[in-house]
Amino acid sequence: MSAIRSVTVPPAPPPWIVAWVVLCLLALPVKVLGEIRVTDDAGREVHLAKPAQRIVSLSPHLTEILFHVGAGEQVVGTVSFSDFPAAAGRLPVVGSAGQLDLERILALEPDLVVAWQSGNPSRQVTRLEQLGLTVYYSEPRRLADLADTLEQLARLTGVPESGAARAEALRQGVRALTAQYAHRPQVPLFYQIWDKPLMTINDEHIIGELIGLCGGHNLFGELPALVPRLGPEAVLAADPEVIVGGGSGEDNRAWVDDWRRWQDLTAVQRDNLFFIPPSLIQRQTPRILEGAALLCEQLEQARQRRPESGR
Amino acid sequence: MNRLGIILAVLFIAALLVMGLSLGLGSVALSPGDVWAVVTGGGEPLQRALILELRLPRTLAAFATGGLLAVAGALMQVLLRNPLADPYVLGISGGAAVGALLSMLAGLATVLVSGAAFAGALLSTLLVFGLAHGTGSWTPVRLLLTGVVVAAGWGALISFLLAVSPGAQLPGMLYWLMGDLSHASHPGPALIVLLLAVLLAWPLGRSLNVLARGSLQAAALGVSVRPLEWTVYLLAAALTASAVTLAGTVGFVGLIVPHMLRLVLGNDQRIILPAAALAGGILLTLADTLARTVIAPQQLPVGVITAMLGVPVFLYLLHRSR
Amino acid sequence: MDTPLLRLEQVVIHVPGRAGGSPLDFAVQPGECWGILGPNGAGKTTLLHTLAGLRSARAGHVVLAGKRLGELHRRSVARELALVFQDHHDGFPATVLETALIGRHPFLRPWDMESARDMALARAALARVDLVGLESRLVGTLSGGERQRLAIASALTQDPRLLLLDEPLSHLDLHHQVAVLDIVRERVNSSCAAMMSLHDVNLAARHCDHVLLLYPDGNACWGPTEEMLLLPVLERLYGQKLVTGEVDGVPVFMAAGGALDGS
Repeated sequence: MSAIRSVTVPPAPPPWIVAWVVLCLLALPVKVLGEIRVTDDAGREVHLAKPAQRIVSLSPHLTEILFHVGAGEQVVGTVSFSDFPAAAGRLPVVGSAGQLDLERILALEPDLVVAWQSGNPSRQVTRLEQLGLTVYYSEPRRLADLADTLEQLARLTGVPESGAARAEALRQGVRALTAQYAHRPQVPLFYQIWDKPLMTINDEHIIGELIGLCGGHNLFGELPALVPRLGPEAVLAADPEVIVGGGSGEDNRAWVDDWRRWQDLTAVQRDNLFFIPPSLIQRQTPRILEGAALLCEQLEQARQRRPESGR
Repeated sequence: MNRLGIILAVLFIAALLVMGLSLGLGSVALSPGDVWAVVTGGGEPLQRALILELRLPRTLAAFATGGLLAVAGALMQVLLRNPLADPYVLGISGGAAVGALLSMLAGLATVLVSGAAFAGALLSTLLVFGLAHGTGSWTPVRLLLTGVVVAAGWGALISFLLAVSPGAQLPGMLYWLMGDLSHASHPGPALIVLLLAVLLAWPLGRSLNVLARGSLQAAALGVSVRPLEWTVYLLAAALTASAVTLAGTVGFVGLIVPHMLRLVLGNDQRIILPAAALAGGILLTLADTLARTVIAPQQLPVGVITAMLGVPVFLYLLHRSR
Repeated sequence: MDTPLLRLEQVVIHVPGRAGGSPLDFAVQPGECWGILGPNGAGKTTLLHTLAGLRSARAGHVVLAGKRLGELHRRSVARELALVFQDHHDGFPATVLETALIGRHPFLRPWDMESARDMALARAALARVDLVGLESRLVGTLSGGERQRLAIASALTQDPRLLLLDEPLSHLDLHHQVAVLDIVRERVNSSCAAMMSLHDVNLAARHCDHVLLLYPDGNACWGPTEEMLLLPVLERLYGQKLVTGEVDGVPVFMAAGGALDGS
């Protein structure tokens, strides 16, 4: 190349440079679009050749998560009671979480099945694996696991950035709540998850983690069972400062209000009977942050109602 | 008469003791002094709440249920001339269960669940009544077969309902099916039914003794067999329906208690029926106390305890009767 | 002519599968002892159950102490007559004394407990059938003969004016057979009446003053013993060649070898 060139038209790049550039450009996506490998909550490695395009979700909360990370379009089937977001309600149903319709699942020809380890019948899901389907087992017990799930499912479905962002948002939200509430004065409470029979949760449950995050103390946290069944006597004896519970519907306060018949309970006297819609807290989805925020505010209200707080 | 008086007096005292025990035990430890204080009008508010509003209705409900089932079982065993009959053999419990489970699925309040259970029991009674009547000859074997078929039908429905219910509903349904006193309230009507039934059945006692020997024999001795059999059937149905409405389908009590009493006291229904009312109540109150306390604060449904106690007791009875 | 204890007015008993039979029309007076004879399946049990009011007749009326059976309450019937069954079913265990006491049931109101008199009657009945000392034994542990005697004791406790007995001598040894027949004779002599179905023609010949012969095809005939118990009649009844003799002035019949037609 001589220094003296005509200046009117810059010379076209030599073809081989173009070829290299194009190859390099092509190579990048090839690297990103290569095999996807994640480790699921059962400790197994799940790998897909390319992001999943036809996903069947075996739990309402997993459906919600898939939509949340931006993979909603790729979900082709889900189980009953998958009602959030609204689009999920229009998906084909493949049975209930407790009893799957294997034929329907196979008919949908999914390239990824997202299963709920403790909620789906293991024999049926194993059968799906034997039939050649790729299964990802999910079982988030802690909020950190939930964030990881967001990322992993996002990677499996080809939206890793979106997933990472959502996961980070979740972690941020958890950190914010922790910073604000975790070190507040402890509030002894009773969390009621079901009415007949009367059931609560222990510290290993994800709701137990939320309680700790909000500066609460689950009076039954140390019981061995994850979801112990109690009698009202035990609650009366424990005399919690706060009673929080769900209901048989999104706005049915009946279970919580029923405690008013025990006039001598501290929680009743201070009107610390709080209701949290079950879908915001009893599902392991990112909306659990909303439930957590609600819980933390309710506990803060309870602190304000303490006689020594001066109000 | 003396013998009956002595037996009833002993059972009555035992009943009071057992009820006192039930009032004193629970998730929260209370001393006998506390119980006495509350019963006589004093005591701290928490203790009063525990004893008067939680334990007392539950104790009375357990007593009523046990008595109802034991008397119903005794009556059924005479009616069917079969010492292995229990109150549920004619399908009454199945109908009640379907009523209860349906109303649980529909999310109805507890009061309506009990009402639906009672309605289901009545429906089943009428169904068996109608079917057995329709076939004409109303022998115990025919009645038993009709009842067994109807019970099987209800069983199929129950399995179906359990299969299609959302997971969250299942524990509640299963507890009801096993027999659970944790939500029994208003034991009053059940106790009244028990008392009235015993008062009504007692004068029929000797006729029942005769009936137990066979319907031809009974007719030859002046018993109006058909009206008596219908009366006994309806009475047993009412007792069973009341029990099941209160506590779900508690097993074994209706089978074991009349049996044990017959081994000890002989076969005179005039003694067995009132004794069954008391003994059944005592047994179930004890079982429920255990269910509430054995893994406290966790709760077991009382049906678990009656089954676990019932099987060895029954084996022992079989062994004795050889 | 005092009122007969039992009157059969053109009674045809209902045997399923059998077209009809001769209408029975006779009266049983106090002091009479009737024997019912016939081969198996002739309807002896059915007849006794019909007379006791446990089955309906196909035609005709049974009149007990002047009233039709259909119009009487079961209780009243049970006070007048007692039926000793052929088979004894004991569903639930009961003691011998309790079983004997059952006979008092028709006389007790629902609230009554058994009185001393009732107990005495029961014990006397047990003594009469030679079951003293076994009062607290369970019925299921009795021998066939003891059970049979107990059934008779229950009937005695009922103290009825008419005694209906369905093959009362089965399972009994000779000694007790005679004893039971003596009991029946005793009651008949104290202005009661008895009707019993028997397999043994000779016992009927000795102990019954009237006999009723039931044929398998539904035919029947009846009358005083000496008129009815004739060789050709009995041979036709049982379809069996018989030989006859006489003991103590009473005819005795025994089966002979060979078929009825002489071959």
